[in-house]
Amino acid sequence: MFKDITLGQYVPGDSFLHKLDPRTKIMLMIAYIVAVFLVQRIEIFALVIIFTVAVTLLSKVSITYLFKALKPMKFLLPLMFLMNLFLIKTGDLLVEWWIFKIYSDGLKNAFFIVLRLATLVAGTSLLTLTTTPIALTDGLEKLLSPLKVIKFPAHELAMMMTIALRFIPTLIEEADKIMKAQLARGADFESGNVFKRAKAMLPILIPLFVNSFRRADELAMAMESRCYHGGNGRTRMRVLCFTWRDLVAVLVMAALIAAIVISQKLIPAVF
Amino acid sequence: MISISEVEYSYEDGEDAKKALSGVSLEIRDGEFVAIVGHNGSGKSTLAKMLNALILPDSGTVTVFGMDTADEKLTLDIRKKVGIVFQNPDNQIVTTVVEEDVGFGPENLGVPTQEIRKRVDRALEAVGMTDYARSAPHMLSGGQKQRIAIAGVLAIRPDVLVLDEATAMLDPIGRKAVLDIAKRMNKELGITVVMITQYMEEAVIADRVVVMNEGKVAMQGTPREIFRRGDELRKIRLDVPVMVELREKLAAESLIPDTDALTVEEMAEEICPLLLKN
Amino acid sequence: MPIIVEKLTHTYMPGTENEHVAVDNVSLTINEGEFFGIIGHTGSGKSTFIQHLNGLVQPTSGKVTVDGFDMSDKKQRQKGRALVGMVFQYPDYQLFDSTVLDDVAFGPKNLGQSEEEAKKSAAEAMKTVGLDPELFGEKSPFELSGGEKRRAALAGIIAMKPKYLVLDEPMAGLDPSGRRDVVATIDALRRELGCTVIMVSHSMEDVARSAERIAVLNEGKLYALGTPDEIFSKTQELIDMGLDAPQTARLAEALRQKGCDVPESIYTNERFIEWFRGLKHV
Repeated sequence: MFKDITLGQYVPGDSFLHKLDPRTKIMLMIAYIVAVFLVQRIEIFALVIIFTVAVTLLSKVSITYLFKALKPMKFLLPLMFLMNLFLIKTGDLLVEWWIFKIYSDGLKNAFFIVLRLATLVAGTSLLTLTTTPIALTDGLEKLLSPLKVIKFPAHELAMMMTIALRFIPTLIEEADKIMKAQLARGADFESGNVFKRAKAMLPILIPLFVNSFRRADELAMAMESRCYHGGNGRTRMRVLCFTWRDLVAVLVMAALIAAIVISQKLIPAVF
Repeated sequence: MISISEVEYSYEDGEDAKKALSGVSLEIRDGEFVAIVGHNGSGKSTLAKMLNALILPDSGTVTVFGMDTADEKLTLDIRKKVGIVFQNPDNQIVTTVVEEDVGFGPENLGVPTQEIRKRVDRALEAVGMTDYARSAPHMLSGGQKQRIAIAGVLAIRPDVLVLDEATAMLDPIGRKAVLDIAKRMNKELGITVVMITQYMEEAVIADRVVVMNEGKVAMQGTPREIFRRGDELRKIRLDVPVMVELREKLAAESLIPDTDALTVEEMAEEICPLLLKN
Repeated sequence: MPIIVEKLTHTYMPGTENEHVAVDNVSLTINEGEFFGIIGHTGSGKSTFIQHLNGLVQPTSGKVTVDGFDMSDKKQRQKGRALVGMVFQYPDYQLFDSTVLDDVAFGPKNLGQSEEEAKKSAAEAMKTVGLDPELFGEKSPFELSGGEKRRAALAGIIAMKPKYLVLDEPMAGLDPSGRRDVVATIDALRRELGCTVIMVSHSMEDVARSAERIAVLNEGKLYALGTPDEIFSKTQELIDMGLDAPQTARLAEALRQKGCDVPESIYTNERFIEWFRGLKHV
């Protein structure tokens, strides 16, 4: 029973962030990445952290979701920290113990890289946490549509994403049914070496693929029958439109970037 | 009006290609409810897909309100007139939100946004799925999905609704819902309905039944006429509704007078007086 | 030895907001050699229920034993599963090999038969379901018609010589001749192999014709259990439940409402005719 699978990590809500136009959110995410990389000094990072925390609070998304998003990085982050800590050998020597030497630049960089990665992941997660996959697709299509001039298939790409989102739950459910049908015929997916196990997957994969090809065929016919003829002359039922919220959001982001740039110029380095 | 004239079609080329349709001629009048029955491989689904230019005849013509389906320039206009609901409810829903899927047809036709909204709301109401407008299609039952598919066709405002074995994969509740909608659309909105089916019980509600066999029209007539020819139907791997079978057998033993009753209600009408007389 | 289901409950996604009790405290026994029908509408829990008979899902509470093998125990389940053959509704979920014969032989091979033995079992099974191994053996399963696929899938299960055969909606989606073929095949199986057949359907017409006992599931609960005579005496209740009562049973009910005296055992055409004949002679 995989019926209630949810794709992406969208958390329903009606916060300020949820109500933003997806185009704005995608652009703001890019601006946010730029902002994170603009920060060159660790104390200025406080601005980014304050901003990220404020936006998280504004989204009304439980903080646990952000930690969940960071979970896949639970090995990468400490590794990056340690590598920077021990391998950078410039600045003042702070600690020396056996073969380990920690320099001030190493310490600075170690903190810096971890903060950068963590805020990047947290910030971009806020986009997917507050935007439905379908709204993201719509937003991307609109943002990429100017590229149609150079024959970039923006509409086709968005349509592909939509269909993928629509059919993934169906296919997962189908894979489950096929697996049960083969289990009932005595198939064994659990024992044997890797090669044997891979071979044991064939009775699942073949029906899944054969069915998918038929699905694709039938879907194409159904779409054609409903007058689909590519993106030309198409209108949309749900039109994206900017509101005052989007303006506010853009201004806030601009303020963040300005603050980073100015404070880096004006405030003398502490460390 | 749709007229099909001397249509031939085979799925593969070459000498030994088996003909899916061979010499089919048929007229479908405006406002009619036509059932097309036949066993698997009788050519009935191929015929359905010819009604809106999804398949073009090898020879012969299909004209939809005077438009030849072979004329590529008219394809879109033909598809505006004739909508098809297919067999597998899963394989005709395109998007992840019900109402957006219903809007898919009008979007393709470039209908203005506000008008799409109106059409979608009306179509969902017509199939009784308004409450599910914001649902994800994969959470719905087969019957509900098929109602969404019908709404998707209705939103295009067609003159002809083709159900291509649209009930084959549904449970009894889903089947009944789809049939009721088709009947209502036919009676209330005057939409022409062409229903392809292999359930003889469903053909009973049609104005006219067309029986296909080996790519040809084997018989046609009102349900009453057709289901009086049970032996011929069985010969071409079909059947009669359960009530007709009962009637045939009772009449064969002269237990009841010869009638043309088709449904449970009609049989009850027919038999009750005999029982009460006893 | 029978299949014994004791106080079986199955809950999907327990403890979440999507929690759903699919099977709710169902107890019943399926005896060796009988033709057991299970009816219920979509969502009545019948699919989940039959998956328990094969140990494909595990009970939330309660117990299923097949010939004494406890299906919740991993080791015993393997033995129990070998006794229960399960044919799913859509043959497309199981057909995968390059030829029909190889595909049908997949099950026997999993049971440990040699290539040769497995093919022999497969050929026999194909004959039983009416697919000539000479004619169909080397065909690709994907070339078959709907009815043939269904029979190939059935052959794939009976080649494993199960004692109990579970059929999930074996007639759904087939045309009249396809349905007749499947009915004939099931009859042959019962006659020749003495299989216990457990057939799930929402078409009561099919169940009415052949089942010896019927279980009616509604919203996960066992609503009724009995002989067809007992079950179809409740025609109106079944219709109210959203099930499709046999047309003849509905005719009998309609006649009763018109004030005619029709016995409750009338739910097939054969019985109706017999009864009617009797009346005339009186």
